[in-house]
Amino acid sequence: MSSTRDSSRLRLGILGVVVLSLFATLLARLWYLQVLVAPDFQVEAQANSVRLVYTEAPRGRILDRNGDVLVENRIVPTVVVDRVAVARDPDLLPRLGAYLGKDPAELQRRVDDLRFSQYRPAPVADDVRKEQVVYLREHQAEFPGVDVVQLTQRHYPHGELAAHVLGYVGAINDRELEPRRNQGYRPGDSIGKSGVELAYEQALRGQPEVEKLQVDSRDRVLRSLGKQPSVPGHDVVLTIDIDVQALAEESLRQGLETARQTWDPDQLKRFLAPAGSVVVQDPRDGAILAMASYPTYDPTTFANGISTSHFQFLQDPANHYPLNNRALQGLYAPASTFKLVTAIAALSNQAIAANTTIIDNGSIAVGDPPTVFRNAFGTAHGRVDMARAISLSSDVYFYELGAKLDNPRKPYPIQETARSFGMGRITDVELPFEAEGRVPDPESKQKLHEANPEAFPYGEWFTGDNINLSIGQGDLVVTPLQLINAYSAFANGGTVWVPRVGGAVRDVVHGTSRAIEGRQHSKAAMENGHRDAVMAGLRRVVSDEEGTASAAFAGFPLSRFSLAGKTGTAEVAGKQDTALYVGFGPIEDPRYAVAVVMEESGFGSSAAAPVARRIFDGLVGNPPGPVARVAGRD
Amino acid sequence: MAVTTRYSAGTARGGRDAGAPQRHLDIVLLVSVLCLTAIGLLMIYSSTRSQQAAAGLDPQNFLKRQATFAAIGLVVMVVVMFIDYRAMRDVAPVIWVVIVVALLAVLTPLGSAARGAHAWFQVGPLDFQPSEAAKVGLIIVLAAYLSVHRGRLEGPQVLTALALAAVPMGLIAMQPDMGTNMVFVAMLMGLLLVAGARPRHIGALTAVGLVGVVAVFQLGMLQEYQLDRLTAFLDPAGDPQRSAYNLRQSQIAIAAGGLTGKGVFQGTQTNLSFVPEQHTDFIFTAVGEELGFLGAATLLALFGLVMWRTWRAACLAKDDFGTLLCVGVLAVLLFQIFENIGMTMGITPIAGIPLPFVSYGGSSLLAMFAAIGLVLNVHMRRFT
Repeated sequence: MSSTRDSSRLRLGILGVVVLSLFATLLARLWYLQVLVAPDFQVEAQANSVRLVYTEAPRGRILDRNGDVLVENRIVPTVVVDRVAVARDPDLLPRLGAYLGKDPAELQRRVDDLRFSQYRPAPVADDVRKEQVVYLREHQAEFPGVDVVQLTQRHYPHGELAAHVLGYVGAINDRELEPRRNQGYRPGDSIGKSGVELAYEQALRGQPEVEKLQVDSRDRVLRSLGKQPSVPGHDVVLTIDIDVQALAEESLRQGLETARQTWDPDQLKRFLAPAGSVVVQDPRDGAILAMASYPTYDPTTFANGISTSHFQFLQDPANHYPLNNRALQGLYAPASTFKLVTAIAALSNQAIAANTTIIDNGSIAVGDPPTVFRNAFGTAHGRVDMARAISLSSDVYFYELGAKLDNPRKPYPIQETARSFGMGRITDVELPFEAEGRVPDPESKQKLHEANPEAFPYGEWFTGDNINLSIGQGDLVVTPLQLINAYSAFANGGTVWVPRVGGAVRDVVHGTSRAIEGRQHSKAAMENGHRDAVMAGLRRVVSDEEGTASAAFAGFPLSRFSLAGKTGTAEVAGKQDTALYVGFGPIEDPRYAVAVVMEESGFGSSAAAPVARRIFDGLVGNPPGPVARVAGRD
Repeated sequence: MAVTTRYSAGTARGGRDAGAPQRHLDIVLLVSVLCLTAIGLLMIYSSTRSQQAAAGLDPQNFLKRQATFAAIGLVVMVVVMFIDYRAMRDVAPVIWVVIVVALLAVLTPLGSAARGAHAWFQVGPLDFQPSEAAKVGLIIVLAAYLSVHRGRLEGPQVLTALALAAVPMGLIAMQPDMGTNMVFVAMLMGLLLVAGARPRHIGALTAVGLVGVVAVFQLGMLQEYQLDRLTAFLDPAGDPQRSAYNLRQSQIAIAAGGLTGKGVFQGTQTNLSFVPEQHTDFIFTAVGEELGFLGAATLLALFGLVMWRTWRAACLAKDDFGTLLCVGVLAVLLFQIFENIGMTMGITPIAGIPLPFVSYGGSSLLAMFAAIGLVLNVHMRRFT
């Protein structure tokens, strides 16, 4: 009996040990969870039950250089609907839609739209009328869960004016969101899509209001745990002068409309004149005073989510891509406006002296077997020196230079000069989507050929290529911004600026302001003596009876405000000629440089120079008259 | 004779062995159980009130029902306590038959089904789960049988004991209720161990049990969700949206309590019902979150007291039947506590086993009070 008792004691003892060890296990695990790793889990518990709701800060305003407001925020009464109420009452949206005159399906789409926070009532109708607000407030019982709140929307007091510079905002997409996640962007946020809105996105955006909400396991909001107020975005002051901008846009539009009324004797139809661009720059610091691109668009249509059909309209090639900013995305052969570069290159490389004359018979033959290059209409200008060659735009004179400067020396002088003036590379302007352009040389030609043998059948560099280049044709393409920047550099004695539209960023909360200074990009390869020789030619373009722009500038007070300029007419295969004009003044101390580029509008002297004339009229205080087309040859 | 020798210390205290058995009530055990029940009531209220209120119901709904059951449970305990346990040995066969009949009946249309199991009798507004009562009943039946054959436990006796357990277990398996059967296995093992089964019997039983478990898994006798639940603790990071979800949420809740807890009614996981079945099987997460390590460890300490006093009662029992009754209760309590708390902390498989005295549920509470009644019964009659 005692043996079983001993055995019983042992067995109860074993049981006791089992109890102790299991309890020790539980206690150890409890200690591990609640003391050792608790902080990690507490974060998770918090994440479980707290939702952060972000409300975007008011975006900063955009002002012109004189403080005129170009973009601001407008308070818009917006109808919002609680999602729970919609789920509970399937007739709510149809009833609301009937009252507001909106399709209930559209309202439902807004309720389901994931861009809006799921923890807040969904905005279903913007910009409702005041009496509708009052009605909805008075008939709350009829519309449970419906409320009217004040939301902000981008507002453009000047309408379409400067649309391309300002850009527009829209809901952030996945491609834009991914790189910005750690900057606090969330799906549904608005973000600058183009122009200054995109370039100065960081400054304009501000910091969103963050509200902490406590939710239960089914994501129902229980209460607010407090909020962190928003910080409004900074204001951005531009170098743009809205009056100059209006002058530039109106002049360009008039010029194109006039061109469309004009008969093209080459193609036996009227000029198409679908598009164009004007840039006005201050050569002293590179600041852009106006930047126009035609056709344009109304940024207001983006302020509240653009309709699909309108967006398609803006993307349709038949409408000539109104969203493109041609000032920095359009690529054009500069044609005779490029002769400034050829002239500087020739003088710098002693290919010719300014006073050396040659006989312009209307054409030259180059090579063996000879290829004949002609002036426009084969006109013979007779004896020309550099100034005269520029003023009446003698192609033959520059063909000679092109042929002389085509030697296997590297780098090629014309190309080198063009690049030193900033052509064929992006200017670094803050605005997005800038095109690079191209200054052709043997190397680039070979590359083009290798990349696309069909479009570029020859990889070899011929003297003819250099001759074409000398008058701004061939594979040479630049943007209007590169063109104006090169002329500004010439005008100011050789400083190539980084063109800019941003003047200052103002912190409206702290009342501080940070000026954006002009930035020098490089120095153009040019000696003062050579500049004077070319300048004489450019002055005669405007003022000399023979000058290609003299008709356009007839009657302009040149004695008070001296001008220099150059016309250009670019031949484009299969299209009507592109008209160009670039000019600046006053010559002694250039304050304004103006570039005009008009697609399929004919001669630069006929179409583009009158547009520039009207702009200069406005700039010097003359009442700008209607753009009048003049006769011309280049 | 040996008994008086071994426990002479008791007699030596003079007069303690005399008088009515109720004078030898184990106050420590009783108070521990009452404390556990009180903590249970508080935690049930905490984890149900906001959801009840959100649904527009009385926030004290669950609290009141559990309190009612606790009161009934106390009565049951007292009743069990005052019937001399030795009398129970004689009615053990009757108890066994009643268990089997009740478990059969619950499978018929008399029983009602909920959450996929056919395990309840609906009596008016109250549910009654016969398998909970069967736990206590089978302790008595097995203790009675094994105490008769104590010290002479050979193959046939072990097999008979197994058969006595196997019939109700088979019926419970048909409900189906895996968790309760696991409790029965634990009970059986504890009783056989202390009753003197030979190590080879216990070894063989363990082997058979392992083979059975493997068979259950291999033969696909479990639904996939059951398998997932059982294995989720092995890989808690596995699939947070499905089986591992409970486990993940439960561990978050416990850990979030930290050392001192968030305070009663302050647990976000608890109040916001992130942990499923929180007032029943996962009640320990509410304790962990709101009372912290100090509270949860106190709860463990109370359970430790209950274990200790039950073990002590087993040691002090006047006869083998009393010892085995206490051992049966001990095995059931130990298994349920370890499995339930272990499950919420991710160290044991998830099975539907309530935490004694703390989880919401009338049948479980009544059965646990009855079981403690048995222990108190044995304890206070240790001298008579």
